[in-house]
Amino acid sequence: MSVPGFHRPKSVEDAARLLAETDGARCLSGGATLVAMMNASLAEPKAIVSLAGIPELAGIAELANGGFRIGAMTRHAATAGDARLAGTLAVLRDAARQIANPVVRNMGTIGGSIGFADPAADYPPALVAANAEVEIANAAGRRRVAARDFFVDWYTTACGPGEFVTGVYLPPPRPGAGLYKKLARVSGDFAIASVALSAAKDANGVSIRIAVGGCGPRPIRADAADALLSAKFGDAAAAAAAGEALAAAADPVDDVRASAEYRRLVIPRLVAETVAHARAALEAR
Amino acid sequence: MTLALSINGRIRQVQAGLSDTLLTVLRDQLLLTAAKRGCNQGVCGACTVLIDGRPQRACLSLAANCEGAAITTLEGLQRDASMARLQKAFAATGAVQCGFCTPGVLVSAHALLSHNADPRTDEIRAGLSGNLCRCSGYRKIVDAVAEAAKEAKP
Repeated sequence: MSVPGFHRPKSVEDAARLLAETDGARCLSGGATLVAMMNASLAEPKAIVSLAGIPELAGIAELANGGFRIGAMTRHAATAGDARLAGTLAVLRDAARQIANPVVRNMGTIGGSIGFADPAADYPPALVAANAEVEIANAAGRRRVAARDFFVDWYTTACGPGEFVTGVYLPPPRPGAGLYKKLARVSGDFAIASVALSAAKDANGVSIRIAVGGCGPRPIRADAADALLSAKFGDAAAAAAAGEALAAAADPVDDVRASAEYRRLVIPRLVAETVAHARAALEAR
Repeated sequence: MTLALSINGRIRQVQAGLSDTLLTVLRDQLLLTAAKRGCNQGVCGACTVLIDGRPQRACLSLAANCEGAAITTLEGLQRDASMARLQKAFAATGAVQCGFCTPGVLVSAHALLSHNADPRTDEIRAGLSGNLCRCSGYRKIVDAVAEAAKEAKP
């Protein structure tokens, strides 16, 4: 029994082959984005390749190096609830638990979310702050791209035609803190602006990665901001300067949630608040 | 084309095209109309059903992708003791206004109580945050869920 045009392959290789050889085919992961677009007549795929039958895409696995691989089909609820994502990697859990609402977190997947690449979504800045890599498959094999290079433009990723996201690789967690602050009109909405921060702390000092969401075509980052915060973490002037550097790097637009001008104003304040919370989290350790 | 879906413990044969959702099949073919078509975008929660035990959106689930999954709608929970307590509490508390959101809210509340038997008010609000009530009767809905939890205590 089957529906014409509907495919449910059992391996990544079969899925990549189907995508490559089927005209007008789209990948289906959790459905939270693609089916909503189909219902609104914004997408009319001629064929669908469901990733639901591929065991290796589900779940979070610890790697030999102490890092983790999050399969593309892993639901937001599973990522939000995995206590192994600790220390610097807590930034990803903190982002996952703030996505939409419990029902959508049971459906939506990390692969589907980042493959769609809405810049106001919660994972993109969190993955940049976590220094993650994205694994992409095509008919010829697989490749990995740093998260900061994966997000290319509005709703545009490094995935080419016939390619799809198969997973996310996280480096080993380092002792420290990871957090995600979202400014939204209501809880669970897309971000007006958001800040993702990971703070690694050891005997040599503190190392910071910070990224801003919702304020441009892709996650906003600035080498100067990371350097300022790493050199003087918790220093109010350094946090303010880092916030200004990120606001300068942002490229926000006016939309229904806020104006571009408002977003530029709010970035430094949200950065300062996030740094203060991260500092408190480090001191509480 | 014909699909075999497991719905409320029975295998049902349905006809579905590539873009047909579980919600369309439930309502238009099987006449299981508790799940409502509100926004059809996954926002309002009126179509919430259990898929493999977890509350999910029937409007965002393609029927063809549901083969092999265990689907439970509100109709399938009619003999469930927890659901009976919830329904009684909703009626007694005045938590039903126009009623359009009620089936989805009940499914979400049932899922909440199945893993948290004694939720705090903020936990009830978070658990129901994926269900919109356009009558804005949230206060009595939260009261009703708390009442049902209280009733369940020995």
